Amino acid sequence: MTHAAAPSGHALEQSKFELFVEIAMLLAVITGIEIITVYLPFAKGLLVGALVAASVVKFLFVIFIFMHLRWDKAFCTVLFFIGLILAGGTMWALVQLFGAAASVPLSSP
Amino acid sequence: MSSTAAAATIDHHHDPSTATGIPNKKLLMWAFLASDCMFFGCLISTHLIYRLHPPPGVPAARDVFSIELTSFSTFILLMSSLMMALAVNAIQKGNLKSLRACLATTILFGAIFLGCQVYEFSHFVSEKHLTITSNILGTTFYTLTGTHGLHVLIGVIWLASMLAYSFTGRLTEKDSIDVESMGLYWHFVDIVWIVIFTVVYLLEYL
Amino acid sequence: MADALAKPESPVGEAHAAPKALVLWRPEAKTGLISWLTTVDHKRIGFMYGVAALFFFLVGGVEALLIRLQLAVPNNNFLTAQQYNEMFTMHATTMIFLAVMPLSAAFFNFIMPLQIGARDVAFPRLNAFSFWVFLAGAVILNIGWFIHDGAPNGGWFGYTPLTTRGFSPSHSIDMWVMGLQLLGVASIAASLNFIVTILNMRAPGMTMMRLPVFTWMTLVTAFLVVLAFPAITIALIELMMDRLFGTNFFEVSNGGMPVLWTHLFWVFGHPEVYILILPAMGIISEILPTFARKPLFGYPIVVFSGACIGFLGFGVWSHHMFTTGMGTVATAAFSMTTMAIAVPTGVKIFNWIGTLWNGHLTMRTPMRFALGFIWLFMIGGFSGVMHAAAPADAQQHNSYFVVAHFHYVLIGGSLFALLAGIHYWFPLMFGRRVSEGWGKLSFWIIFVGFNVTFFPMHFLGLNGMPRRTFTYDPNMGWNTGNLIATVGAFILGVGVAVYFTVMIYTFFKGERTGSDPWDARTLEWSLPVPVPEYNYRVIPTVHARDAWWYEKRNKDEVARARAAHAPGEASHGIHMPFQSIYPLVSAVGILIGSIGVSVIDADPGPGLIGPKLAVTLAGLAVFLVGVYLWALEGNEGYHVHPEEDHP
Repeated sequence: MTHAAAPSGHALEQSKFELFVEIAMLLAVITGIEIITVYLPFAKGLLVGALVAASVVKFLFVIFIFMHLRWDKAFCTVLFFIGLILAGGTMWALVQLFGAAASVPLSSP
Repeated sequence: MSSTAAAATIDHHHDPSTATGIPNKKLLMWAFLASDCMFFGCLISTHLIYRLHPPPGVPAARDVFSIELTSFSTFILLMSSLMMALAVNAIQKGNLKSLRACLATTILFGAIFLGCQVYEFSHFVSEKHLTITSNILGTTFYTLTGTHGLHVLIGVIWLASMLAYSFTGRLTEKDSIDVESMGLYWHFVDIVWIVIFTVVYLLEYL
Repeated sequence: MADALAKPESPVGEAHAAPKALVLWRPEAKTGLISWLTTVDHKRIGFMYGVAALFFFLVGGVEALLIRLQLAVPNNNFLTAQQYNEMFTMHATTMIFLAVMPLSAAFFNFIMPLQIGARDVAFPRLNAFSFWVFLAGAVILNIGWFIHDGAPNGGWFGYTPLTTRGFSPSHSIDMWVMGLQLLGVASIAASLNFIVTILNMRAPGMTMMRLPVFTWMTLVTAFLVVLAFPAITIALIELMMDRLFGTNFFEVSNGGMPVLWTHLFWVFGHPEVYILILPAMGIISEILPTFARKPLFGYPIVVFSGACIGFLGFGVWSHHMFTTGMGTVATAAFSMTTMAIAVPTGVKIFNWIGTLWNGHLTMRTPMRFALGFIWLFMIGGFSGVMHAAAPADAQQHNSYFVVAHFHYVLIGGSLFALLAGIHYWFPLMFGRRVSEGWGKLSFWIIFVGFNVTFFPMHFLGLNGMPRRTFTYDPNMGWNTGNLIATVGAFILGVGVAVYFTVMIYTFFKGERTGSDPWDARTLEWSLPVPVPEYNYRVIPTVHARDAWWYEKRNKDEVARARAAHAPGEASHGIHMPFQSIYPLVSAVGILIGSIGVSVIDADPGPGLIGPKLAVTLAGLAVFLVGVYLWALEGNEGYHVHPEEDHP
């Protein structure tokens, strides 16, 4: 990532505007790359990995910069990640459960 | 809980009257968002499970979707997030004029996103003959994106109410936490869309 | 709870020169109906939760007795199969959502803010809203008894496809769906409030590791509610979409998978089990140290194991589904996590025993219920671990063995602790104490009745008697067990009747007590009785874990600390939130809208505004009016200046 390392204190308040705009542009660029990615002739697993990675990067930028987690008390991050991790774990488990050989519906192609 | 907020400058990241130093409303909003993660997690799981194991006869989603329109609305929602962040910045500096401009732009972008979704839905129904009842793809797709759209709609109404409220003269720098928690909600709607955009739309094109 | 010492002054807003907030009505009644409808006082809200919960506990109890009457003898015709289905569905739903959860919520509301030295919860009006929405949900769930469609009859788990439109065309399932949805909203709103309150409103010195264990368990439970309820919210939305709009989530003919409902339901349902038991464990962890006159043994371990149970509770849901055929790996994984979760539970039991060890036990009524809890919960725990072994579970699944198991953890566990808690905190809430003789009598009748009812069910289950069957053949070998269970149920019913009769008598005529009659340990006992509206005249400074116990033994140090910051408090008075009617208005809007969605027949065609859409939209309008006026009146309050009444 090439954006300027965020300064602290008063300088921060001055540069927040530029930082927000920079981040927004970065997010737009990543989104553009994502859209191009789906048409690239690489292995499917690789592309899925790339798309997931890109989404995670966007996700983290929004919560840490736009949603101020980076400047707030660490507990806000902890609180949100409790929900995020449990939700992610549940999603993973559900998808795995339905993917197990014994669970796949017989009608599924 | 004594109101000792008479200090010269207001520290927007620390509230001395609470035990953790986090303002009550911010903590409430983060806890709610943690809960909403689970909410969307279950909804997205439902969609994913039915996409991974579709019954025979379900059309390929890529034949239905329009990547151009969705990319545009994704971009619009990202930009609305930027404007929301700037709105919070504005109220924390007590700049009401800038706040109103940012809020109005956020509302506009949110409304454009909703317009795109309405267009997308009606296009899918009339041109692609995909309705919410026709098959499992329609069921999970419309329910998931529709629930997200409902979140956006609530956000737009909230934003518009705040914009109207800012004209009463009662919204001051001290109330920035109200704008900030609204902003947290709005950004959350944006990050849910980041996930939906990848999981629901992009992965279908691989 | 009108307080003669409080002298309300002119309202003080937050802002000085800013325009006034839009206030249509500031209810100021301190007694009478209006004061209850508009209250934002956590103690009054807790009291209302308690009354509602006890009422529904009796309703659920009557339903249980009817079930037992039907099963008393083989081939009985006391209830029809349809009525029996309604009974077991509503018995379970009522006991879980309308009795045990709100009774826990009553203690959360009443006790938790007092234990952390706070004057109220973080969002008093949201707290009132939670209660009214809970009541709305309870109404929706029970409307069915009074209308043609009948009460919900699809089981408390609402398994699809039984609950889809094709198999349950009447509105009773719609009411079940909507009722649960509202209870979810109420629970999540209340729990968000409790999380913020516990984290943010602690008195100075009340660090997290000094929190009373009951408050800790409130926090863990609140997290469980906030993170588990969304799963059932989604499941209910999907079912509602299927029923109202003909979508295909669980429609087998169009590729829907009913087992998805089962998964989503238990993703919620298993944490829900801990939502029911963790508050009970918190109550026990308060009562045992008080009556053993020793600090809780291994406080950090008890807290950590509670949090551990909460976290692991999200990873065991599929043990309710071993017989659905999930595949070997998943079955083994969930089997192991289920066995793992028994460990922190066992740790807690040993900590309680450690607390009792060498203590000066005072065998008062709350202590009896608490000791009963430990025994009965342990039995329920043992049969729980038996279910964790998937091959054994295949045999026990859906048999009366399971019924025996969860009644041991829910009655022997949750309910015994809640009954203990009522006895324990009754003097603090009402300034009266239940007489020991009657209290102990009710304990023994309940204890005996409970075991006579549910212990035979283990054998019935192992002998193959299935759950949810409305009658049985005489030569199955189940006759004796069922008759004993029914006799036991009536003994249990007598015990509960004695308990509540004595409780109501005590409320009006019981022996008066001063503050702190048990010589207890936690902060809430430092308060005068009845507790003033503002709770603490001076916010206490906490010096140790058992704050009040420490205070009683180190009076000088505490007096110095109090004198240091009391004048500051006295000069600007105590800030009290204004009462508000809008939480009630919003909840009424939700109730109207839900009646529209769930009770009224579908409109003739799309696009037409028929009665269903009209009522739903009217409810939405009332809700929005309530929410906007709520927002616009602002969170202002007034100051009271209580006079010096004690040093």
